[in-house]
Amino acid sequence: MTPSRFARLLDTHGPHPERWPAARRAGSAALLATSAEAKALLAAAQSLDARLGTDLPHPASDAVVRLRAAVAWQIARTPLPAASSPWTRVWELLRPAVPAGWGALAAMATCALWLSLAAAPAIGDPLAPLQALPIAEDPL
Amino acid sequence: MGLWRHARNTYQHPMPNLLALARLPLAAARSSPVRPAGLMPREAASDAVLMRWAAAGDRAAFGVLVERHGERALRVALRVLGNAAEAEEVAQEAFLRAWQAAAGFDPDRAQFTTWLHRITLNLAIDRTRRHVSAPNAGDAALAALPDPGPGPEASAVAAEEQMALAAALARLPARQRAAIALAYEDGLSGAEAAAALDVSERALEGLLRRARLMLRRILSS
Repeated sequence: MTPSRFARLLDTHGPHPERWPAARRAGSAALLATSAEAKALLAAAQSLDARLGTDLPHPASDAVVRLRAAVAWQIARTPLPAASSPWTRVWELLRPAVPAGWGALAAMATCALWLSLAAAPAIGDPLAPLQALPIAEDPL
Repeated sequence: MGLWRHARNTYQHPMPNLLALARLPLAAARSSPVRPAGLMPREAASDAVLMRWAAAGDRAAFGVLVERHGERALRVALRVLGNAAEAEEVAQEAFLRAWQAAAGFDPDRAQFTTWLHRITLNLAIDRTRRHVSAPNAGDAALAALPDPGPGPEASAVAAEEQMALAAALARLPARQRAAIALAYEDGLSGAEAAAALDVSERALEGLLRRARLMLRRILSS
């Protein structure tokens, strides 16, 4: 563990060791025991964490009351939730496959276009080579 | 189930015009469902059960959900937007959308709180992006903070620190602010926070890392 990797660990997981990946705790503890830079990094991370814990904004209590009243007032005046139709459920089931479906559709369209534009092979009489052969009764 | 009366939903717009709504008769009075006797009290029901009742038209059940989760939705919106009035609008709109989509809610796919947070965050982040082009977006966040006013020196210093943090947060990209807002919510796991932001846990860690790094740089400069 280096100080720069320790700084990255602190930024990713915060300053609380219990939230660090278990595999990195021992290395971090060893670094903290020997490195003043690591201790300073930890102190800075703890300071930021404490500020975020206390100074992030909180809604006023009257705002919460207003929200509850406003939502109650509005849903009292809006129709009931729409019941989901069977087609909606089928669409919800198929939606994850939509990208693959569009790809398959595009491939099929390309194939169809290619086949329609390709020159049709000349179809002759399959027995023509036989007709060129001499017949037994023919004079030589 | 025969006691439950369903009404066909013809409502389309996610955020109704309040003046127009005020002229409408109460939809609740037109089509309030009859609650069967013997059901458990609404306050004791789980979120998933309340959503099922709400989908069947039980507005009071949805009211319990607002009661339970309104404060957190408001707090998350406020921490992303930095503006109390806009946070209230976003939280209201999020609950309205949840009400309208109640029938499509599937508790096997997501918890109600994760679903609600995702709606709230999407609305808040969209609104923040509209503000990016507006000048002085950070100043607006600062102006939304309460005035520290005259008082003891300690409270003035605390208010100054809050304003500095708000200014630093206002300079972060909206998704990083959202990651910070969720990370400092009590009782919300990393997996739930990642699901609310619709990213993997690893991506959430990346957002948090960049956010903390930037906050430390701004606050120390």
